[in-house]
Amino acid sequence: MDRIVITGLGLVCAIGGSADECFDNAVAGKVGIKEVSSVEHSKCYAHIGAEYPEFVTPEGEDRATALCVKAAEEAVADSGIDVKKDADRVGVMIGSCVGGAVSIEKFYRDYVADPDKAKAEDVLKMPISAIANNVALRFGARGVVDNVANACAAGTMSIAMAADIIRSGKADVMIAGGSDPMSSLAYSGFHALHALDDEPCRPFNKSKGIALGEGAGILIVESYEHAMARGAKIYCEVLGSGVSSDAHHITAPAPDGEGMQAAMERSLENSGISASDVDYINAHGTGTPLNDSSELGAMLRVFGSSGKACASSTKSMVGHCLGAAGSVEAVFCVKAIERGVVPPTVGYTDEDVVAMRDKAGDFDFVPNKGKKKDVTYVQSNNYAFGGNNASIIYAKEDAPRSLREATADRVFVTGIGVVSPLGNTVGGYVEAVRAGSAPNVCEKCGDAVSAVGSEDFASVGIKLNFYRKLDKLSQMTCVSGKYALADAGITVDDGNARKIGIVAGTSDGPQTDIANFQKGIIANGTQSGSAFLFPNTVYNAAPGYLSICAGLKGYNVTYANGAASGLAAVAYSARVLRTTQNDVILAVGADEDSETVHMLYDKIGALSGGMKLSDGAVTLALEKESSASARGAKKYAEVLGSGFAHCDVEFGKYGCSGQLKRAIDLALDDAGVKAGDIGLVMTCSNGLASLSEAENEALAPFASAEKVNVRDVCGEGRAASSALAAAHASLMLAGEIGSTKAKYALVLGASSGGSYNAVVLGRADR
Amino acid sequence: MDERQKAVADKIIDYLSETLRLPKENIDYDIPLFGDGIGLDSVDSLEIIAGMNLLFGVTLIGVNDGVFANIRTLSEYIVNSPDYEEKS
Repeated sequence: MDRIVITGLGLVCAIGGSADECFDNAVAGKVGIKEVSSVEHSKCYAHIGAEYPEFVTPEGEDRATALCVKAAEEAVADSGIDVKKDADRVGVMIGSCVGGAVSIEKFYRDYVADPDKAKAEDVLKMPISAIANNVALRFGARGVVDNVANACAAGTMSIAMAADIIRSGKADVMIAGGSDPMSSLAYSGFHALHALDDEPCRPFNKSKGIALGEGAGILIVESYEHAMARGAKIYCEVLGSGVSSDAHHITAPAPDGEGMQAAMERSLENSGISASDVDYINAHGTGTPLNDSSELGAMLRVFGSSGKACASSTKSMVGHCLGAAGSVEAVFCVKAIERGVVPPTVGYTDEDVVAMRDKAGDFDFVPNKGKKKDVTYVQSNNYAFGGNNASIIYAKEDAPRSLREATADRVFVTGIGVVSPLGNTVGGYVEAVRAGSAPNVCEKCGDAVSAVGSEDFASVGIKLNFYRKLDKLSQMTCVSGKYALADAGITVDDGNARKIGIVAGTSDGPQTDIANFQKGIIANGTQSGSAFLFPNTVYNAAPGYLSICAGLKGYNVTYANGAASGLAAVAYSARVLRTTQNDVILAVGADEDSETVHMLYDKIGALSGGMKLSDGAVTLALEKESSASARGAKKYAEVLGSGFAHCDVEFGKYGCSGQLKRAIDLALDDAGVKAGDIGLVMTCSNGLASLSEAENEALAPFASAEKVNVRDVCGEGRAASSALAAAHASLMLAGEIGSTKAKYALVLGASSGGSYNAVVLGRADR
Repeated sequence: MDERQKAVADKIIDYLSETLRLPKENIDYDIPLFGDGIGLDSVDSLEIIAGMNLLFGVTLIGVNDGVFANIRTLSEYIVNSPDYEEKS
């Protein structure tokens, strides 16, 4: 089960419409960077990017999904996999940064002209959440379906996560990778930050910034046993990965490159190989002076400058494809292993090559043309806004390795942080629940809403200069995360910072500042994007800010797949604790409400359908037993198991009660708990009839269990509510709320688009 | 400050308050914008440069750091700039 292989490839980017075409062009040093055609740029200081205009978005579709489906069709065909034959064991994991940004622009252009003309169908194309659901629908996949939303590191993290889902036994095959379109949002944002180069970028060399790209890379990630059993062609294996945080700045990498180095070292360590084994490094190499100098320093410290390993930045040809970058580069890495040829970094003159020796000794950047090299081990690295770093190792089939084994550590909830319409802090929430208090309601819109104020910031030590930059989503996330650390009694210092991480889940991400930013471009032009707002438009900004204000340098991954994302974060965190160097993971579920978000949910008919929209951020500090016991931590509850299942319906809908039941059965099985032993069920219905129907059917075996739905009081805060359900259950099991005799609780999550999950919690003292 | 400069200074305060989400009560004409005062950073300065161009037609790229010292110095530079145009 631990051996994971790649059995199919699909790629679309500026230098081609297939994996082979792109790789051939890359080896030849073909540059796909030219004048941008899909974004208005006449008043910008830079005019170039790496688009693939040969691919025209089909009418009525969003470009992020369309690019992704195109690459996935190639990969699925290449692998020969019959998805529908064993659909429950096939999942989808897609990385993205801007997601439906092209549809976002269209929607707000229509909206600014006439609010009534803006279309509901475009709203459903906007969130990152939609992409994996659309891919699952196209192929009929019904396993674990999710999106990784860590900006420019998402494409690498999605493949690492896909491999781990298979290793954990939750799937046999994952359609994994990333997708991002060229968009005015990204172009204007990087322009505002002065991070675009007005000439084709020349990473590590004389580059002044990035060339923005677009594309999608998809890999079929499969268990070795499954691939062998069906006689599949095996390209290579996926070994270990490493994820870290800088805890430094929301957009700039830490100049010392320590976080980058930690990610690189962890991917080597988790693969059981050493730096001297690595033949080729596909570097992040964006071309910004800040990235390139930090990254080069980190690479030289890890690999030395002897020239054994060579490194290239393929972004010099395909541009920076943001959330797709890691997956586009993954395809190049796999092809390098298959063909025994490494792709180059282009844009080097002979003088540049000589000058580079001063900076990097004999380190080989493979200038201008690909070169033959027998490649056994490849490391691929990506770094993102929020200070998130990711590294992964690909290796030739059967190459020696010693993968870090999953531990049997028990995982406990040792801290809870709440920002909810019922009040903030776990104490405030418990008191309000006991008193039967009414939630805080926004007078204008009638939604139950959370509020964070100066007293919250003061009590967690966050200063005005920090929190003024944050959107509401980030403010709630930072406060809730810091409250959870305080409740857990954890003080972050140099000794533990790298062992405390974050897994965040959000349904809709920062839709309010995305709208503010996009409306600014529409009013004033691409050249006038707000440098202040742009960092807030990425979904991982909120956990990025949390890592910065709390000093957390461990794992940091953000998932986006609808309302169940907060509960998914809890489920994924438990696995992260057993497979990585982290002792504590803050599992955060957060979503914001605002005039914009209210309008979007109104547009799609959710509010008239019975959903009571709300918002909040809820954090569960999950901790390894070894760590919790060592410091004598209080334990609210134990995380015992989880299950995921997907219904291949259109994004925006629910369906298949059988799949919710399947998620429940998988969670019970994972936890080793019988349905009859469940004394408490945290339900997930949110007022929409189709979800209530699915839930009622799935709940039949739990007729005698107590049922609680946090949305009855707090409304549908999406990821915040599904995380709150887990927190509320933990508080009940710990005897802080009510007087349940239940030893085991079942927490349910459902996402529009058909993804269901379930988590089983147990009393800590049972 | 004369009336003309004061009008510009007040517009800058409104702009900073709205765009950089700074509470108005924290800003006066003489508080240092960077460092120990309000503590703006490099991203904020990009936003100020873009905003002054948008509001007053004045380009601040490459100007002396002293211009950004506080609202008084910034407004003074703007009203004395040949590019300064009063926009509604």
